[in-house]
Amino acid sequence: MERIVEHPLLKFERGEKIVFYFEDVQMQAYEGETIAAALHANGVRMLRITPKGSRPQGLFCAIGKCSSCLMEVDGKANVRTCITPVKEGMRVRTQKGRGEKSE
Amino acid sequence: MNNPDLLVLGGGPAGLCGAIEAAREGLRVLVVDEGISPGGQLVKQTHKFFGNENFYASTRGMEIAGKLLKELSLYPQVILACESSVLAVYPDGVPVLDRRSDSTYLYNPTRLLVATGASEKFLQFDNNDLPGVYGAGAVQTLMNQFGILPGKSVLMIGSGNIGLIVSYQLDQAGVEVKAILEASSRIGGYRVHADKVKRLGIPVLLNHTILKAIGEKSVNGALITALDERWRPVPGTEREMVIDTVCIAVGLTPSAELVAQAGGQLKYIPELGGYVPLHDSDMRTTIDRVFVAGDVSGIEEATTAMIEGRIAGLNIVKDIKGKCNETRLEELKETLSAFRSGPTSSKIRSGLEKMDLVTQPARYVEGEVNRSGEFRGKLRPIIECFEAIPCNPCETSCPVGAITVGENINDVPVIDYSRCTGCGVCATKCPGLAIFMYQEREDGMALVGIPYEFLPVPEKGQSVYATGRSGEVLCTARVDRVTRSANKTNIVYLTVPEELGRDVRHIHVTNREESSLICRCEEITVEQVKKAIREGYVDFEELRRYLRVSMGPCGGRTCRLNTLMILSGETGVPVEKLSPGTLRPPAIPVSFGAIERNAKVTHE
Ligand SMILES: Cc1cc2nc3c(=O)[nH]c(=O)nc-3n(C[C@H](O)[C@H](O)[C@H](O)COP(=O)(O)OP(=O)(O)OC[C@H]3O[C@@H](n4cnc5c(N)ncnc54)[C@H](O)[C@@H]3O)c2cc1C
Ligand code: SF4
Ligand code: SF4
Ligand code: FES
Repeated sequence: MERIVEHPLLKFERGEKIVFYFEDVQMQAYEGETIAAALHANGVRMLRITPKGSRPQGLFCAIGKCSSCLMEVDGKANVRTCITPVKEGMRVRTQKGRGEKSE
Repeated sequence: MNNPDLLVLGGGPAGLCGAIEAAREGLRVLVVDEGISPGGQLVKQTHKFFGNENFYASTRGMEIAGKLLKELSLYPQVILACESSVLAVYPDGVPVLDRRSDSTYLYNPTRLLVATGASEKFLQFDNNDLPGVYGAGAVQTLMNQFGILPGKSVLMIGSGNIGLIVSYQLDQAGVEVKAILEASSRIGGYRVHADKVKRLGIPVLLNHTILKAIGEKSVNGALITALDERWRPVPGTEREMVIDTVCIAVGLTPSAELVAQAGGQLKYIPELGGYVPLHDSDMRTTIDRVFVAGDVSGIEEATTAMIEGRIAGLNIVKDIKGKCNETRLEELKETLSAFRSGPTSSKIRSGLEKMDLVTQPARYVEGEVNRSGEFRGKLRPIIECFEAIPCNPCETSCPVGAITVGENINDVPVIDYSRCTGCGVCATKCPGLAIFMYQEREDGMALVGIPYEFLPVPEKGQSVYATGRSGEVLCTARVDRVTRSANKTNIVYLTVPEELGRDVRHIHVTNREESSLICRCEEITVEQVKKAIREGYVDFEELRRYLRVSMGPCGGRTCRLNTLMILSGETGVPVEKLSPGTLRPPAIPVSFGAIERNAKVTHE
């Protein structure tokens, strides 16, 4: 999943470069992006594993309406990562199940 | 502000317009929105909008959002809070979770405007929740708001306006759209939008659907099938497509839960997208103090969402202050009716009728109405907009008033060629990219001006591929000039043989790096070809003997045209006038043994 560098209509004014962690792996993001968008830019599509069928799921609506993007963020479960901005040093994990601690 | 006069739930076009109307009359307004920035769906829409110039037609969605936000910011008694989710609507207040501070506030507004928009419909097929299956809105968010590509090759499901527009936007961002699948037997969206994607060469497969998304942790393929007239899969037609992204654009459904919690009655009206809050023409729900506007009140589009927002806002002013600008209110209602009076809104009209909101259909003009043949030789626009849709920027943008859509905004445009000066403004303004410039020349060639919103923008004198209505290559052509437009719809003027002039509708620009290979068989680079031309090898046959370009096993199939285009670019001679050299058999590398064996078979 790449970032668009040149676009015929749009100019992307990206914020400050920041780092965050996905499953303890350091990744780069820009301030002002959502967690889900930043993960996509780093090639991560699978955001959670469902409680019942253990199915991988990812971004679907991107506007906070479907719960497909729930992740564990800084120890807090059930965060809708599509409408939550990524922050410097944030620790993000795939949510497995209903949001009981994954460790 | 615990007790604002008006609390607006949702900061999309509908909510912002409602807030603006109320703020203008001095009401204290609080707008809350879940997203990290306001503007709703508008912020990711990069295409120019249809509709009426008074409601930002021909302006790109994201720019409309900016304008509305700027207007709202003029009023100091308005607060706009993002990352704020409305949790519920109770009789004693509306709890809103401010996610930034992780705390909840309870508001008791005098009036409530619910403008929460819609959510994407979900389609049932195997593995429809696999990462890489996105709603169209999500693809737009990633791509247009954050500048991140959702994947490399996409299968689009649904050929309504959203499916068509998002396909076009994906192509603009450099993503391949493998196909658009449509279950019914006709394209759902506006014809101008469909034409726009077809000429990019994106196939629209009618009577087709997806059966399964393939992949373990992420999509890497899809199983598709043809459907019969009753939408049942036709056995034996299943096939696999190699793609990494599935984009679902099968419609939206109103997000009306909060209206229901407030006690408002909902009704299932499929024409409007699902369960919709009953409301009157003032946008008031069955609960006196609760109003709705935009997609939540029935799926339509942004222009109507804005008008509805304003209507709701004015009525809220009337409720609280006892009066409002009645003339303006009436005008807004009339505009809304006019908008919905055309054939493309017939579904909306029958949906609204189910809650006793009757809109009269209007008579409209449709079909091909412009005869441009009589003005042979004059530089003039060819308008390929034959379907009655609510749109008129061509009319309002023409500086000399040569184009008329007329009273009914749904009518097709009629042009008076005797007035037209050939300035090309209409072609840059048309949101459907349905206006092409055209001029026959004396030398058997024609000048065709193509609205072009892609990268790279070709240079004057460059050779490009001229493509037709289905993206097929018709010929190569030289760029005569490029007129750059502030709204980024550039017009690329090409010279093509006149007999192709009416069919050339798009271009394909190949950007050649100097060091890249032009002839893969003989490993010859662009730079080498250019150097040879400058040394004086200006004939294809000579170039071929000198460089061995196109003498490899492919027989020149990959490199002949490219070499000719460089030659044309360097020498200024149109490709059509250049000799392509002899096309020697065999066309593919084949052993003599094979030819012999084949010959025997045909003889038996
Ligand atoms: C791909 C695409 C292309 C389109 N093209 C066109 C076009 O060419 N012309 C046109 O006229 N229309 C077009 N539309 C339609 C148009 O965008 C929508 O009709 C319009 O945005 C509806 O406006 P709205 O304000 O009702 O909803 P939205 O724009 O969806 O805004 C709703 C807002 O409410 C917020 N919200 C929702 N729930 C809550 C909650 N519980 N708490 C707080 N906030 C909440 C959301 O975050 C959102 O910001 C297109 C739509 C799409 C998806
Ligand atoms: S080319 Fe110019 S003058 Fe002619 S119709 Fe278009 S806008 Fe009007
Ligand atoms: S030709 Fe006119 S009415 Fe048709 S899409 Fe273009 S601007 Fe709209
Ligand atoms: S992707 Fe739907 S809630 Fe986040």
